[in-house]
Amino acid sequence: MSLLLQYQPNDVKRHDEAVFDLRLRRDRAMQEVPDFTVLKRHAAAIKAHTLDHLADYLEMFEAKAHAAGAKVHWAADAKEHNEIVLNLLQHHGVRRMVKSKSMLTEECQLNPFLESHGVEVTDTDLGERIVQLGNEPPSHIVVPAIHRRRDEIGELFHRHMNTPAGETDPARLTEYARQDLRSRFLDAQAGLTGVNFAIAETGTIVVCTNEGNADLGMSLPPLHIASMGIDKIIPTVDDLAIFLRLLARSATGQHITAYTSMVTGPLRSGELHIVIVDGGRTRLLEDPSKRRALGCIRCGACLNTCPVYRRAGGHAYGEPVPGPIGSVLAPILGSGPVAASLPQASTLCGSCTSVCPVGIDLHKLLLEWRHGTAKPDPDLRYGLRIAAWLMARPALYRRVMKVVCRGHPLISKRWPGNPASRWLDARELPEFPPMSYYEKRRSENR
Amino acid sequence: MSSRDSILQRVRQSTQKRVEHPGAFPSPALRGGWRGFEDRLVTVGGESIGPVARTQLARVLRPVVEHRASGGRVIAAASLCLELGEGPWTPVADDIPPHDLEDVAVAVVRGSIAVMENGAIGIHGKDAAVQALPFLCETLVVLLSVESVVPDMHEALAALPEDALHHRHFTWVSGPSKTADIEQTLVIGAHGPRALIAVGIDAE
Repeated sequence: MSLLLQYQPNDVKRHDEAVFDLRLRRDRAMQEVPDFTVLKRHAAAIKAHTLDHLADYLEMFEAKAHAAGAKVHWAADAKEHNEIVLNLLQHHGVRRMVKSKSMLTEECQLNPFLESHGVEVTDTDLGERIVQLGNEPPSHIVVPAIHRRRDEIGELFHRHMNTPAGETDPARLTEYARQDLRSRFLDAQAGLTGVNFAIAETGTIVVCTNEGNADLGMSLPPLHIASMGIDKIIPTVDDLAIFLRLLARSATGQHITAYTSMVTGPLRSGELHIVIVDGGRTRLLEDPSKRRALGCIRCGACLNTCPVYRRAGGHAYGEPVPGPIGSVLAPILGSGPVAASLPQASTLCGSCTSVCPVGIDLHKLLLEWRHGTAKPDPDLRYGLRIAAWLMARPALYRRVMKVVCRGHPLISKRWPGNPASRWLDARELPEFPPMSYYEKRRSENR
Repeated sequence: MSSRDSILQRVRQSTQKRVEHPGAFPSPALRGGWRGFEDRLVTVGGESIGPVARTQLARVLRPVVEHRASGGRVIAAASLCLELGEGPWTPVADDIPPHDLEDVAVAVVRGSIAVMENGAIGIHGKDAAVQALPFLCETLVVLLSVESVVPDMHEALAALPEDALHHRHFTWVSGPSKTADIEQTLVIGAHGPRALIAVGIDAE
């Protein structure tokens, strides 16, 4: 079921501005921290150290979490992760689960899997709830519904929650969602959360939200499942301070998220299960030239500043994590149709590198991929060959351009049988001039 | 081989254990104080009262809580009720099911640490009595010693109570619950409290 909603001509501009506003907020918040360059260097050094000692820290985390009463599970891939979660839910007879934001479960496609086994999953972060109702993936890792206008959201709520038609006020829409989701929190038999940081020395998981949805999901139902990638480990509680000072400032320009919970072992009345997932991360670790990409804390700053992401939007990437960091991870972690070619879709301007709070040189990583293993899109290679052949034949080229200029509406509009239809699915061609440059100069000089 | 062992083996094969930990962060000597904390708290949508003398606490708190509750249920941990004495608050046992607290208008809890740089207050799960209480209520009132203010997160985490990481959640709360998921418009009261009031208690 797709939205009945209409694309509006200024949507791209609105998205660009909304996303760049986050970047400006980030700038202000970071500049307020007197020592932020030192902080950034320190964060990068901790991540480099942690990745280099990852096996030891994973074992330490497992032992400490176990000692605190949590049960730790290990999953090699998305399939194993999903099966572990399903087994836990079936063992506890869970039919209704609430979930707070977790990009890992997007990566694992957990929701459709659980739903196919009869578990009703409710995403509780407002942005994630909006995209869940719209039956689409998040388009941003921090603000999942940033691509949607308020009238579209009002229409979605009207259809799914029977709210008044035509409601577009964000405060009232949020209130409707609050009422609906509160009853789902109270009904849920299990809560699943992501993990922002996992502290090895104490076996603590740290979960950050602004809405408080993770906290309700962790404290109301008796069963709490937390899914984390192996890259979420940090060594000590002291180290957490560094990352908490950087995360929210980089993400939204807040000094810290409204809620930051440190969870060590289960609550007295419940159970805590932590699922640690590889999902291709060890393959990234194997490559010393790309390993540092695993230091990412998923703040989204590189998305917000990226000239490509801002105009293309998250869905264009076809991966759960879009933007520069998504393009760096995709050739290994990705599974979408264009995963391997994403490093090609970059201007290499380096803006991502300049805002990364943990000092990942993203534009260099993108270049690394271009040098090495990233496979070019076969369609593109074909097209470039035709272009090269044509450009080597000036007379023919001019004749073809003459036809193209006049026949352009035939190519740029989607119609059944247009060979360019697939390409036009996600793109628009600019208006063509009626004459080619060459023709124009010729007619002027005549 | 189990997934656990194969993951750990793959990690071991690709890492050398040569990169050292950079050590403790050289935290700049910021000065922290109740006024500084209040200033930050306001920017994150919170409110503040005080500092008040411990002997005056119940007298100051009563009208504030009654006004916010407007007839609704007011809950505080049992030990806190004892300290506050007579008032609109009723004690909550720490073994009642969280679902029984669904309709709480105002919750009064003790906070452990206040952080000047970000307006966050550290709340120990045991002070909330029931873990879900600070998130279910409409208004959250947190009582804090003015001496508990620290300048930044480095000192805040260094000051964690001994038993903070033991079968409990320890939560840093910065202002009320909020979201900006609809066209980046800030809305207060997404899932949790719609208001947060920090009450400073004077050191004797």
